[in-house]
Amino acid sequence: MGELSYIGKSFRRKDGPDKVTGRAMYSQDVKLPGTLIGRILRSPHPHARILRIDTSKARALPGVKAVITVDDTKGIKHGFVETPRYPPDQEVLARGRVVHVGEEIAAVAAIDQLTARQALELIEVDYEILPAVFDPDEAIQPDAPQIHPTHPKAQVPFSNIGGRTATGWGDVEAGFAESDYVREDRFESHLRTHGYLEPHTTIAHWENERLNVWTSSMGTFIKRAKLAKTLDLPYSAVRVHKAYVGGTFGGKIDLYSHEYCAARLSMITRRPVRIVATREDIFAAYRHGQPLAMEIKTGVKKDGTIVAQQIRVINNSGAYRGSGVVVIFLAWGFTMIPYRIPNLKYEGLSVYTNYTVRAPQRGHGCPQIRFAIESQLDRIAEDLGIDPVTIRLRNARKPWEELPNGDNVHEAGLIDCIKVAAEKSDFLGKYGKGRKAASTIRRGIGMGVSGYFGGSLIYPNGSGVIVKMNDDGTPTVLTGGIDVGQGSETVISQIVAEELAVNIDDVKIISSDTDTTPQDIGAWISGMTYVTGNAARQAAGNVRQQLLDLAALRFNVDIKHLGIKDRVIFNRNDPGQRMTYREIIAHSIATRRGDTIIGEGFWRTMRDEPTHPSLATTKGRWSENYAYSCQVAEVEVDIESGEARLIKALTVHDCGFPINPALVKGQIDGQVSMALGHAFLEEVLTKNGYTLNPTWLDYRMPTIHEMAASDDADVITEQYVVGKPYRTKEVGEGLVSGILAAIANAVYDATGVRLTSTPFTPEKILKGVRKLAREGKGRQ
Amino acid sequence: MPDAQSKRKVGSQIIEISVNGERHEISVKPRHTLVEVLREKLGLTGTKDGCEQGVCGVCTVLLEGRPVLACITLALECHGKEVRTVEGLAQGETLSVVQQAFLDQGAVQCGFCTPGMLMSVTALLEKNANPSLPEIKKALEGNLCRCTGYNAIVAAVQQAAGQGVKPVMQ
Repeated sequence: MGELSYIGKSFRRKDGPDKVTGRAMYSQDVKLPGTLIGRILRSPHPHARILRIDTSKARALPGVKAVITVDDTKGIKHGFVETPRYPPDQEVLARGRVVHVGEEIAAVAAIDQLTARQALELIEVDYEILPAVFDPDEAIQPDAPQIHPTHPKAQVPFSNIGGRTATGWGDVEAGFAESDYVREDRFESHLRTHGYLEPHTTIAHWENERLNVWTSSMGTFIKRAKLAKTLDLPYSAVRVHKAYVGGTFGGKIDLYSHEYCAARLSMITRRPVRIVATREDIFAAYRHGQPLAMEIKTGVKKDGTIVAQQIRVINNSGAYRGSGVVVIFLAWGFTMIPYRIPNLKYEGLSVYTNYTVRAPQRGHGCPQIRFAIESQLDRIAEDLGIDPVTIRLRNARKPWEELPNGDNVHEAGLIDCIKVAAEKSDFLGKYGKGRKAASTIRRGIGMGVSGYFGGSLIYPNGSGVIVKMNDDGTPTVLTGGIDVGQGSETVISQIVAEELAVNIDDVKIISSDTDTTPQDIGAWISGMTYVTGNAARQAAGNVRQQLLDLAALRFNVDIKHLGIKDRVIFNRNDPGQRMTYREIIAHSIATRRGDTIIGEGFWRTMRDEPTHPSLATTKGRWSENYAYSCQVAEVEVDIESGEARLIKALTVHDCGFPINPALVKGQIDGQVSMALGHAFLEEVLTKNGYTLNPTWLDYRMPTIHEMAASDDADVITEQYVVGKPYRTKEVGEGLVSGILAAIANAVYDATGVRLTSTPFTPEKILKGVRKLAREGKGRQ
Repeated sequence: MPDAQSKRKVGSQIIEISVNGERHEISVKPRHTLVEVLREKLGLTGTKDGCEQGVCGVCTVLLEGRPVLACITLALECHGKEVRTVEGLAQGETLSVVQQAFLDQGAVQCGFCTPGMLMSVTALLEKNANPSLPEIKKALEGNLCRCTGYNAIVAAVQQAAGQGVKPVMQ
């Protein structure tokens, strides 16, 4: 087919016109007549026994239509992870005990907001306060308060270990013995919220023995599965409708209690029920990311070659398992993707504490562990007198290397990423200058590397796509893929337009409705462009084949003589023989059976693998696509005030190839911004499980004033050929990682202050600057 | 506290407002906010409901041409005034230059901040046709965006202001 017309070009968003005119329907915009307002009663205590719940006064309040507690549920547990080792550990409403502030105890449905609020105040709950624990190091002590006393333990006799990942290869002790230099460091990350601007909203309507749901999500099929399970309904009795989603970043994938409650209340009242989480609810009671403590011991040769690494990660996972046992698996994975580690010993513990539950958050462990590893690598480089670029190139994985888990990195672009990043930023020309400057405003430059998987196996494992031709010769695409802002509808349309040689404006796309579209992996395993995209390519290719077959019959020529261009099929040997798709379809209807042309596609990553790797042992294949990146940060630090800011970011990445370069750029810019918030601004402050800053005023998300220049380059390692499977790699979440590490390294470059915990606050920087001054090392 | 509140009869009042050039008479209670009136009573759901604390900026609309946060603007304050929302920006199928620039620059991702951003930018450009970068930042400092990092949004404002920024999307 030669030149590509739609792939690799920055087409405007398919959903753009809806979003700039206010037509786009988010869950909060769905209006159904007779809708009741639901509200949730939440625990005021981090840990307490529930002695009594009396809902009678609330039920008697005029305007209250239903009140539910755990006794009105089937008692079916759910979890982000549901495996034999890690069975679901959470009920939809608390039973007998609450284990974190904000845990859901009861829910009401009433005729309006005010009545619902009053009803909550009329529910009487008697608690017996229990001792609570918030520090994971304390929580793993044998005498710590038991958060789940009846739970099977991951590691006897420790109390609160919700999960453990233990893995490695080689012999680390021998590795350290043969190393020229060994260094141990400890790093910590902190609690941040996802920052989606759309508050969680669910509207549920039980009608004709079926449940209709509109909810803020990252995958309608996973929501359907969890709702059906906890409500004890067949999947087919639950329809999760398409709704636009106002940002997710990992925070809208778990089943939330309010989603269950809206559904259950609707089933009881037979009226639509809407529940909206307030921003205060989200800050105080909903799921944030995962603060990790990371101990890293690394042995290297004199030239910086890594010989052995021993890593221990402790995750403060909150009161239920959530994705806590996944993040300790992933922190291992994000350790081993970028650099060769001949000997590794890894242990990750996910520890229950009386904090709110944790969710996946963009990068899911990657920014934390890369911050730690890349910070330590810079320390090692400096200790050995090697520059940050050389030590990274020395250890970077090469194309076609096999990872220790058996996966292959294929055309890994890491080495090119590092080289291009160093060159484009004039890294070595700038590095090391900041600390020597006389001024109190210092510039610094730092580098960070990361790698990310693209798609793995977790329910529903694969994506289907249907392309059906309309009689006017245009395609309608049915995909379960959900556009959460990343642009999947646009990317899928580009693929279909390319495969079918139709104008992208003529591609109609219907998405993410569990009744009308095929099953899809969703926007939460970093694989939609690859998995759903290949399914779309296959479905469109299937349609193309059917059109060619019909044209070949009509022209009475062999199919190999036919060409396609701009919705026309022609005979290369006879320019007079040409038909538009519309004519081919009309002819088929008039002369043959006129069967509707429908193409199907299905794609699954690692097709022959049954499931995801073991979270406990890491055995089994993880992914068939690995993306790499090298990011450079340039920061400015005022050493008198301690204030630091990101001035300029450079992201050099290997996403395979960009289907839509402007959409890729949008992902990069957003991740740089999120990382600078992580580095300098954002922190959910807590005390004894209570959130101290539950508003946007007190939680500082980057505003337009913190905007940083963000440049990028794509090393492009793969290509798209019409009719052939393609390989794209992750680009939507891993890039929050290298840049965070780069910022930490740049702050060091500017000041000589090595920060081992996020965020990099003025207090920490000033403390470091003063310490250096006292030691006579810094300039003041 | 809510008990006492609900027992006290709080009278409704009729307000007259113009929304995107259409006049409406609406019965509101003193506690009703402008965003409730727009979204619940008039069905204009283009204006988003975000934090309800007057911080995130997604509910920004123009009141007498000036950007206000509709979640902390009482409906009664709008009596006799003119309100403009995202639904009023396009002329039929023709997008405003600001709307078009947001699409051309990739300044829209999840789209939830977009209506508020568009209104803030529209107000800025009506007052100042050729804003400097600090002026753009000042005008948009009350509108949070988590998706874009703001770079594409600034480019969209510059394109809309005719400052020579070319579309990056086709």
